[in-house]
Formats: sequence, C-alpha cells, structure tokens
Amino acid sequence: MEGLLENFWVLLVLKLAVVALLVPVAGLIIGYGELKISAHMQARVGPYFAGGRFGWAQLIADGIKFFQKEDIIPENADRPVFRWAPTLVMLSSVSLFVVIPFGPGDPFVVRDLELGIFYALAVSSIGTLGILMAGWSSSNKYSLIGGLRAAGQLIAYELPMVLSVVGVVVLAGTMSLSGIVEAQIAFGMPYIVPQVVAFVIFMICALAEMNRIPFDMPIAESELTTGFLTEYTGFRFLFFFLAEFANMFVFAAIATTLFLGGYAPAGSEVFGIAVPALAGPVFMVAKMALLVFVMIWVRWTWPRLREDQLQTFAWKWLVPISVANIVVTAAVKVVF
Amino acid sequence: MSTNQPEDTDGVPAEPSPLAAFADEVAAAVGGTPSTDHGTVKVRVAAERWAEAVEAARDAAGLPFLEFISAIDWANDVSVGDPPEEPVEERLEVLCAVGDVVEGRLAILSADIPKEAPSIASLTHLYPGAEWHEREAAEMFGIHFEGLAKTDHLYLPDEFEGNPLRKSFALLTREVKPWPGDVDVEDLPDAVPTGPSTENPGA
Amino acid sequence: MLDQHAIRQLSEVSVSVEIETPEMTLNIGPQHPSTHGVLRLVAKVDGERITDVDPKLGYMHRGYEKLSEVRTYPQIMALVNRIDWTSGYANEVPFVVAAERLLGVEPPERAKWIRLILTEMARVSAHLLFMGSFPLELGATTPLMFSLRDRERVLDVMESLTGGRFHPNFNRIGGVKPAAGAGKEMKKQVQDLPAGFLAETRDAMVKVRSTCDELEQLIMGNEIFLARTKGIGILPPDVAVSYGVTGPNLRASGVPFDLRTMTDYLPYDQVDFEVPIGEQGDSFDRWWVRLQEIRQATRIVDQAVDKIPAGPLLAKVPKIIKVPKGETYVRAENPKGIMGYYLVSEGGQGPYRLKIRSASFSNLSMLPWILEGVLIPDLLAVMGSLDFVLGDVDR
Repeated sequence: MEGLLENFWVLLVLKLAVVALLVPVAGLIIGYGELKISAHMQARVGPYFAGGRFGWAQLIADGIKFFQKEDIIPENADRPVFRWAPTLVMLSSVSLFVVIPFGPGDPFVVRDLELGIFYALAVSSIGTLGILMAGWSSSNKYSLIGGLRAAGQLIAYELPMVLSVVGVVVLAGTMSLSGIVEAQIAFGMPYIVPQVVAFVIFMICALAEMNRIPFDMPIAESELTTGFLTEYTGFRFLFFFLAEFANMFVFAAIATTLFLGGYAPAGSEVFGIAVPALAGPVFMVAKMALLVFVMIWVRWTWPRLREDQLQTFAWKWLVPISVANIVVTAAVKVVF
Repeated sequence: MSTNQPEDTDGVPAEPSPLAAFADEVAAAVGGTPSTDHGTVKVRVAAERWAEAVEAARDAAGLPFLEFISAIDWANDVSVGDPPEEPVEERLEVLCAVGDVVEGRLAILSADIPKEAPSIASLTHLYPGAEWHEREAAEMFGIHFEGLAKTDHLYLPDEFEGNPLRKSFALLTREVKPWPGDVDVEDLPDAVPTGPSTENPGA
Repeated sequence: MLDQHAIRQLSEVSVSVEIETPEMTLNIGPQHPSTHGVLRLVAKVDGERITDVDPKLGYMHRGYEKLSEVRTYPQIMALVNRIDWTSGYANEVPFVVAAERLLGVEPPERAKWIRLILTEMARVSAHLLFMGSFPLELGATTPLMFSLRDRERVLDVMESLTGGRFHPNFNRIGGVKPAAGAGKEMKKQVQDLPAGFLAETRDAMVKVRSTCDELEQLIMGNEIFLARTKGIGILPPDVAVSYGVTGPNLRASGVPFDLRTMTDYLPYDQVDFEVPIGEQGDSFDRWWVRLQEIRQATRIVDQAVDKIPAGPLLAKVPKIIKVPKGETYVRAENPKGIMGYYLVSEGGQGPYRLKIRSASFSNLSMLPWILEGVLIPDLLAVMGSLDFVLGDVDR
C-alpha cells in the first residue's frame, strides 16, 4: 500500500481528486457561512428550511436549481467568448490550489513549486481576463460598463498586492510557499507581526481582486444589476458564483500562509511537544476561517467605493505605502 | 362673498386680517382682484397680462417659490361626476400658486382663457420648475403654453389623443358600466359618544 | 531619415488629435433596483459622466385627479393615502382639512392631537425607510435591516389603532374614526382610542430613538459613506426655491422653511421641536437632516402623548356629506415635502375638481439640473438622497 502511495503518479491523481472535490465543497461551506453570518449580523436568521433548522442544504439546493435552469445566450453575444469566460475564472481559482501547503511535507501540497508565490500571483490575474471577456461578450451596455470597471480595478489592485508580498519574500528568503511557512516557524512568530502594513494592504487588495464590497463596482447591484454578470444564467452563473467563494478560500489560504504562519505549529515543536503533521490542515483551516469571517464582516458593513475613489486609493495610497514597506523591510534585513 | 375688511360690532371697520392685507398687497402688485375665501388668497388677473402679473408677484410681492401650475375646466355639461350647482361660464381657469419660504405665505393667481383658443404665456422663464407643471396642464387640458420649449407628453403615452381632465372627456369604464355607488360602506355612528371619559382613556 | 525638427512636429501633431469617444445613450429604468419605482431616465453618457438626463414619467399615473371627480369624499379618503405610500397617513390630513374648511366643521381637540401623533409617526416611518434604502444604493446592505426592523414597531402601533400599516384610512370628515369596531354593541360604548395605545406609542418611540443612534454610529462616521455623499449633488437654495423643492431637500440646502411651524389646523404650536437645517445641500446633508427629523418627530410624539386632551373623536356631521360650494387650498408638511390639495366644490357629494400638489413631483423636476455632469455612481447617490416616491410623482 505504501508502495502505491509512494508512486508519484498515483499520489498526483489522488491530490488532484482532492482538489477537484475541495473547490466546490469549500465554495459551498463558505457560501453557507456567508449566508448565516450576514443574517445574524442583520438581526435575521438566514437559511432556515433547506436541510432542517439550520438550513445547511440551502446552497446545495441552489446548485441543483441553477443546473436545471435554461441556458440563455443573448442573440448578439460573442458566443465562444461568452462560453469560455466562466471557465477562465474558475480555472484561475482552481490553479491556485496547486501551490498551497496544508501541512508540512509532500503529501499536503499538490506541487510545492520553487516559484510558489510568483506562480500564485500570476495565475490569479487570469481571472481578470475571464471577467473582461464576460463583460465584452454580453452585448449589453451595463455589462460593458461593468467589465471596463473590473479591468481597471483589477489591474490597479494587482500592483499593491504584489508589492506587499515582496516584503514577506525578502524576510523569508524564498518564494516557495512551504519555504515561507518554514521560515516563519524558524523566525518564531508569524510574519503578520513585522509585516502588519503589508498584511493590511494584502487583505484590501484581496477584497478588490474578488470584486467584493467595498470594491464591487463591477457588480454594483444597485446600479448595474450585476454588471458583467447580467447576461449569465443557469450553470454559467453558478460557475462565477462558486468561483467567487473558491477565490475567497484561496486568498484566505495564501494570506494565512504568508502572514499567519500557514500550518504552523504543526510539524514543529511547541514548548517541547512535537505537534503531529496531520494537525496541519486543522490549524490552516482555523486561521483561514478567521480571515474569511473578516472578509464577510467587511462586505456586509460598509458601502462601496466609487470607481475613481477606488483608483485613487490604489494608486495614490496603496502603492507608495507598499513600496515604503519593501524599503524598510530590506533595510532592516540588511542591517540586522 | 369675500369681505376684505371685517367689520366690528359698532360698524367701525376693524384692522384687516393679515391674510386680507397680504391679498391686497399681491393684488396691488400684479394688478388683479383679490379674494380670501376659506383662508386661501386668490387673485384674478387678465390672461393677456399673465406673464407680467406672475413676474410682479415674484419680484414686487416677493414670492419666489413655485407651488404649482394647473387649471380648472368650468363646464355645464359634464360626462363624469356632477355638474355645477348653478350654470357657470364655460372657460378654462389657469391657476398658478406662488409663495415665499420665509413666512410661508401663498397666493394663487388665476386667469380665464376661452376653451376654443386655450392659449396663455408660459412661465418657464420666471420659474424653471414651471416646465413640468405646464407640460402636465397642457396634456391634461389641452392648453397651449406660448414659449414652452418641451411639449412632449409628461404622463400620457406619446400616441394618446384627448385631454383627460376636461369635463368632456369620458371615462371608458364608466361608459361600459355605471358606478355601483356605495356598496360596502360602514354607517357613521348615530350619536357623538357621551359616555364617561377618563383623563387619558387610551393610556 | 527624418531630422529632429520633423520628428518633433510629427509627435506634436499626433498628440493634439483628440480621441473622440461617442456619447452613449443609457436607459435607466423603468425596471431598476434603485429608481424608487417605475421611473425611466434616458441619460446621455460620456464615459461615466452624464451629459443630459430626460426623465420619462407616467408609468405609474393612476389618474387621481380625474378619479376624484367621480368619487365621494369618504371614498377619496381611502384613495388618497396611496399617493405617497411610504407615509400613508400624512396624505389624508390636508385633504380632510380642506373638506372640513368648506363644510365649516371644526374637528374636536382630541382628534387634532391624534392627527398630529399619527402624522409624526408617518414621518418617522417614511424617514426610517429612507435611512435603510439610501445606504443600500451605495452598497451597504445592513442598515436596511436595522431600520426596517424598527419601522415595524411603528407600523405595529399604527395597525393596532387604525387597522392598516401603510394605508390607515383613519380620518373622517369632522375628526378621526371613532369606532374601534363595527357592530351595534361596540357603538354603544365609549368611542375612543384602544387601551394601551398611548403606552405602546411611547415604547415605539424609545425603540426608534435607539435605532437612530445605531444607524448614526454605523453610517455617519464611515469614511466610505462620507466620500460617496459629501459634496455630491449640491443644490443651491435659490435654485431649489425656484423649482419648488420642499421638505428635507430644501432644508438641507440651508433654507429654514418648515410648514409645521406655520400650520394652524394641527396643534404644532403647543409642542416643542427643532427644525434641522443643513449647510451645503449635498447628499450627506439631506441624509443628516432626515435623521435629525426622526429624532424630533419622536420628541413631538412623546409630548403629544402626554398633552392629548380627553374628548370626543368626531364632530357632529351629517350622514351623507355634501360640501357646499367653494374653493380652498390646504397644504401640509409631509415627510417628502409640501403636499397640497386645491379643492373646488360645487355642492356635490364629491369634489368638482381636486388638484393634488405632490411633493415629489416638484422635487424631481430639478433632476435634469442637478444631474448634469455627474458620474453614474453619483447619480444614485443623488437620486437616492432626494427621497422621492413614484406614486407621489405620477399620482
């Protein structure tokens, strides 16, 4: 049996199967969490009927509903582009799972690339392409406006995100995500302590990349009636929907890895007690849950920023601050 | 009938009420005849001097606030509702209510225009807000406002023909079926209650 | 080979060519999440900036004025509270006062005080709805839940008294509805407010005040909200006055005009209240003025509940009401602005002509003026802050 598991290909197939399962399940759980948490913040109860008193089957029921809806493509829409747009967005979220380490060592990460974080940031930009395609191909003025806003916003917020990560990379000395976690274990504390500014900037940019309030101008329900998503129905809409929640999972995972110590303290010693490696995913999920809660909290509390305010915020504030952060980090690292 | 000078018991005219004084002031400024029936200051002016009168009301009498512009269709033959008690002169009466925002005074200027040639000056150069009121009056009564730039329908569909608020305009549903009248109305109580009432019975 | 001089000339030429972006005509509405009803705006847009707006009304025109010519006064009373449906009761009062004036009937004191209480509760209800829906348009979803939750308290009190949450239909010519139930036995008893009504009202006002504090904390200090509303949609006072804008919109522009201080048919002179005045006339001021008005309205209701005198609820009026010949105009400070009824009576059971001056109609007439040069997201911030209702605009 061990021999089989040692086999590279068998392990790979197993890991991919886990990822394939993980994406929709993570999406469902986070979606359910969002419904319930937002409800309790608003003096409501949330899903109540589907699946008994706690409504846990609500999103499953929604998924089934979406599947059996009619697939409508507008007459003037650019068909191939329209069809492939949701795929691109989903692709970028799923591809990000490949590098995230859920525990120490090989079985807990699909492929621990040397270029870990570089790969992750690059792949997350593919989602932007998908959104642009969706806005353009819908042959609807509202969608076009939404798509243009999305393009501007996503490009503007990529830059501070990348810059904020550079500080962590400088401290860790490696771009591989597992390496960064190990570096934090060696450092003795999670990188959120020396890099708190970078952490805040990263979370803000993550919210912007996911088109969540306060950065949801491209969707802007009350103005554009779902912006670039307006013409999507049925399971294509479900793809976008799930991709958003999967994105939340992924960005929370990356943030946890970079700033909160990932799967630590699993695989190392705490006060002389060796923490089993299998506890890695547990720690990871607990930290991610905290970040996801904050994301949901912010989404339901604040109004949305206007497009030009959004851009001003990114270019005039976030970029200079993150550059300053890199300079200070590098200087401190060289001196000490 | 209106009396602008309330009379004292010994026949000496008392101080005119503030409302009557205001009515006289507006009438003097615009050159019309005032009345203060039921607490409402109404000044009748000639239709030819409509724009000048309203301008005088705005500037000389100090009433820069536009309340509304509308009209009344006086007709003896009505297709809906009850006809007037006594025969009236058939005309369209254009109303323009203007006021101020300091003391809350309001004066309603009115002018009569004939139904065959219902045309009167537009007030959009005096009050920009007059545009919508005049568009509504134009489509509802068929009044032509000279100088009104935008004349497309405000409420009614573009192809609609007819002027709904004219008394001659019949309601189609009432042609088909007459109004059933009081069908399901609760009777008013016979007597005013005389039972014991405590200080604050609802508390 | 091009020399330096030629290259410079070429580059200057290419830079000075203007990139022409064609104007797009965007149709906002009639079905749109944020137009407060079926309003259609045909907007010419240049990028994200609006160059021209043409509002198309009439999707909700129900023909109230024609309808009033074929209905009797009690029947019109039932219709009238549907003009501005967010503040149902407030629409009835000026109409019934107009009819009473022509009839020469004076309602009893207790009836006047009840009208005052219910009008102020209608004001609270309408403004709370605004408190919830305005941040929703800007993207904040939570204040709506809080404000509606406490609006339910006010509507519960309204329902316990009048039987209707939004359309109370509680006025009668000569006073307010005296019977708490129909039926021979009920009519023999003392016709008065239900027991516990005044205490319930006090409780509801306490809860409303705590919601106001909650909403203030949630929204007023939020930088995003301030960035979206401060300096947006500034309305100068003289423009407002010339367009006939009234209500909180006018007061936010700095004009201290509140008809409640000049109304004589309701006992406003016997209660203490302040009239909140804004400074700039931007969207934030319009929101702020309405928040303060809720607090002042609860203050008025508290005082009224203490001061309300005992007495009958309805004056003696004939069974079939025929209003004698005459014309009168009665205006009131509704939550949305000034509402007026010009009643022309020719002695029938119904009016000869009823002209309804609705607040939102005049408030909306300045939309083309205020929206010129505004960005699309700001269009919603401005329109939302004007707080109009299509029923009021279209009648």
